[in-house]
Order: sequence, then structure tokens, then C-alpha cells
Amino acid sequence: MVTIIDRTLTALHTNQIQVQDLSHFCDLLFICGVTKIELPATLAARLSLSGLSGNTGAAGTCFLIQKQNGRQQLFPNDLVEQNFSGNALPDIARRKIRLTGMADLISRDYRTFFEALLHSGATTLDLCPSNSMHCATAIALEWIFAGGSSVSCAFSCGHDFPRLEEVLMGLKLRDSASIVGDLSVFNQLRNLYEKMTRLPVSPMKAVIGTDIFKVESGIHVDGVLKNSATYEPFSPQTVGSQREIVLGKHSSEQSVLYKLREQNLSETGAKSILKQIKEGCSQLGRNISDLELYALASEVKNDHQTEIYC
Amino acid sequence: MTIKQKYIVDTTLRDGEQSPGIAFTLKEKVAIARALDQLGVSRIEAGTPAMGKEECQAFEKIRLACRYARIIAWNRMNLDDIKSSISCGADIIHVCVPASDLLIREKLRKNRAEVLEQLTACADFVHSANKELTIGLEDASRADRDFIVRLTQRAIKLGASTLRISDTVGIMSPSAIKACINQIPAGIDLEIHAHNDLGMAVANSIQGLRSGAKYADATLFGIGERAGNCNLEHLLIATKGQLDFGIRLDDLRLLQEILSPVIFKNRHTVHSFPSSLLAR
Repeated sequence: MVTIIDRTLTALHTNQIQVQDLSHFCDLLFICGVTKIELPATLAARLSLSGLSGNTGAAGTCFLIQKQNGRQQLFPNDLVEQNFSGNALPDIARRKIRLTGMADLISRDYRTFFEALLHSGATTLDLCPSNSMHCATAIALEWIFAGGSSVSCAFSCGHDFPRLEEVLMGLKLRDSASIVGDLSVFNQLRNLYEKMTRLPVSPMKAVIGTDIFKVESGIHVDGVLKNSATYEPFSPQTVGSQREIVLGKHSSEQSVLYKLREQNLSETGAKSILKQIKEGCSQLGRNISDLELYALASEVKNDHQTEIYC
Repeated sequence: MTIKQKYIVDTTLRDGEQSPGIAFTLKEKVAIARALDQLGVSRIEAGTPAMGKEECQAFEKIRLACRYARIIAWNRMNLDDIKSSISCGADIIHVCVPASDLLIREKLRKNRAEVLEQLTACADFVHSANKELTIGLEDASRADRDFIVRLTQRAIKLGASTLRISDTVGIMSPSAIKACINQIPAGIDLEIHAHNDLGMAVANSIQGLRSGAKYADATLFGIGERAGNCNLEHLLIATKGQLDFGIRLDDLRLLQEILSPVIFKNRHTVHSFPSSLLAR
């Protein structure tokens, strides 16, 4: 089983965050499949964890929380960080190493590099590639696919590490038996992360964005209604989310009919409603809300009744 | 190190606009296309003419506004869509072919033989109008590799200039992209179309280009369905000094700054649905 170390708490200013939220965050991380949680010494002192008898070391030191016999325990982080940016691999035999850097590895022969790492003789070899070139998740996953046994990540954005949620989902899609966690807590994790950081996660953030299961275009709605797997890489429920058919410029008549039925509205004049949705949404640059659909449907229905009875 | 020349197919106006909550007016589409043309984008996928009259009008105006880029019209694999695209003057007719059995069976309700037959009919129609044909393999990531080879052989035979490899649901990894491309027969230019569902669209595009693709599809700000498409800015950052797309990063950043209020206008203004459309 691959070791997944989460470093989110090392990248946050945790002084202002309530201990209760931090503890809940750690609980959720373990539930979704994280093996170890890294945290700074200052934070370790705030959390009531057994393992070091109150001795949390010098400032700047990091610790790891690990679950043992169902209980969270604190351990010293004995990984030595080594930045790698060149071509020559340093001598890491018989050492416990966390390799960082490697931001441009995808643009190079990463397979040969991973082969060399796997034969380096290191006692422990954890990879934590930089995301400065937007490829950290891919590097972390390729490392595991190549036979690597440990990666360090962090949840969401706002750090320079591989994205935890992307790595876990990548592993699950490749081989569901490779992770033991329940990813349906991602929705809760995102909400808690937003509360702790006071920063919104992008609605289109891979795996955890609130809009990633909104379907608008007629072609995709058609496919998803026939079989959701056609245009979804994983089901919304997998990450604790829900699918939503929304109406906008790219909607089809079929989508309008679906929404009218969903809202228990009259299907009269779907063509006319669609035309107005397309015009209005282009001007506003957004989808139409259920309330607006209700208003449109009422208007169109009234017009039809007027035509009939006049 | 030799810097390799590669090309961008910008699909902000097609796949990007399919992002829920993003929609452009005709004027905005033309302004974005003109800006992309001046930026140095090689091909602009400007939309789907089959969507209707306004989309066709946008194509005609985009065609006139762009001096350098070739304008692509996206089509489902049917003759009515293609007729619309030809009539509005697109330079390149792109035909999207569902390649995985999942899409063929569940979405099209057809079989592989019918797909090949329909593709041939579409290609003949495009050639009869003397238009350049490009073919996209939708959901190539979940398609049977032998069928991809068959589709590629058919695309070459049908005179398509480019074959688009689409990771439609964004589940591929760089090594999977490489393995997929390595199996594709030579004789046609390749284009990589990556989605960001696992946060790997940039890495997958890079690997696609390194494995032999000539074109990479991208969008401004990475907008697109679900978690979006390959982010053009991120792709330029990640390939700096290795690949040359004929686009300057500083110019792109300036362009994005200018276009941000247009692309994300729903975040910049809070309006209700136009009352003019409700008052009838």
C-alpha cells in the first residue's frame, strides 16, 4: 500500500484556526485515505495527541500524525528534505529522504529518473514535487505507477505540493483497491478547508470544485441522461457531491423539457423558453436560475393561454 | 537544447464556453477571436455552427476579423451539422467521432461499423465542399486501442489532415497518453485534447506533444466543461525553453487581464435575467 503524507497543515497559518476544526480536518484526512499527516511543532503542541509526552521539539520541527490501533499518535518526521533540480541524482543510499523540486520532470525522461530512484538504495523515499509548472499531481502519480511507495501532497490549492484529492482520485480510478479511503468526505473537507482558510476553492477545481458536476451543453446533457458515465470520469456521489443539469446558452430543448419536468412546470412552449434562455444567458454570462425558469415558464404559458382564448 | 515548434488550437470559444455559467455574445466571441489571432494562436475553434443562426453569424464575423489563424467549426458526426459549418465559411471542418464503445453504444446507440460508415459519409461531404477535414476521437482514453488504429487508418484514407486525441473525461496520465500515441499509425498530424478532471491536463498535453503531437488544445484560464481544459498560460509556463508555440507569455497574460471581465462577466456584474426578455 502506498504511503500518502498530507502536508496541508504545514502550508496554513493555523494560529487563528480553532483546535476543534483542525482535529476534524485531521479526522477527515484519515477517512479519505491519508496515511500520515504532517504538521509543524507549534501546531502539534496545540493538539492533544499521545506519542511524545508533551515534548514537541524545537520550533521549525515537523511531526507526523499516524493512526495506530485506531488512535492518532504523534511521531517525529525523520524524512530529510532534499531538493532536486538537476540531472545527477545525489547519493541517498540508506537514508530516509523526501525529494522536492523536480517541477519540470514531465518535460524530461521521468521514467528513467524514477528507475534510478527505485535503485538508489534509500531506506525511505518520499516524493513531493513542486507544482510551479502545474504538473505536480502527474509527477506524483507517475512515481507511484512506476513503483514508488510514498508521496507527499496537500489538499486543494494555496501550496506548492501535489493536490491530495487529485492523487487519491487518480489512484482510485487506476486501481480502486490501491486506496482504502472513502473519498465521499471530500465535500466536507472542502467546506472545512474554506472555513479554516477563509478562501473559496475554485468552483471548477478538479475533483472538489462545486461546479464540476453541473452539466449545461445539450450534447453532454443528452449523454449524461442516457448514461452518466459517458461524460463523467467518476460519479458525483464518489466525492460527496451531486449532479445538476443547468440551463444556459448551450442547452438543448431536451434539457429545457427535463428541467420543466423536474420543477413540475408546464412543458408548453419549451422552444420559446429555450430561445429566451439562450439570449438572456449570453448577455449575462451565466446560467438561468430555477426561479427565473419559473418566471419564464409562467410568461410563456400565459401567452399561450391568451392565444387560445382570445 | 533545440526548441521544438508546436501549435496551439485554442478552444476557448467552443469547449471553453461550454463551461457552465460562461456564455459569450456575438460581439464578445469576435473580440476574443481577434485577440487570439493577434496573440499568435494557430487555429481557433470558434464554436458549433449547428447551434443556430447567431453562432453562424459569429463565425462569419470571426472569419473576417482573423488575419492569421485558421478557423475551426466543431461538428457532431452528422451531415446537418456539417452543412451549417460549411455554409458559414469555416476554414476547417472538425468532425467529432465517438471512439469508445461506451459512447458508441450508450450515446449514439450504434455499433463500430455504423460509426465508420457515418464517418465516411461525413468526410465525403466535407471534401465535396473543398474544405479541410480534421477528425476528433472523442473519449479516446476509454476506447479500444485496436479500434483507435482502425479509426486512424480510416481518417488517413479519408484525407483528414489532423487527428485529435481527446481525453474527454480527463482520466489519462502522461504515460497513458504516450502509450496511446505510440500505437497510432503514422501518416497524419496529431492533436492532443486534454481535460483537467484529475489536474493533469497540462502534464498530459506536454506528454502528447513530446510523443509526437503537433497541436495542443487549450483555453484561456483553462475554462471548460467540469474541471476545465488545458490552461494555455500554464502550458506556456511549463514548456518555456522547450517548446515554441509562437505565443509570448507576457502577451497572453496581458490579454487575459483584458478579457477577464468578458469571460467571467458573471463575477463582475450581478444582474437579473433581462426584463426585456420577460416583458412580452
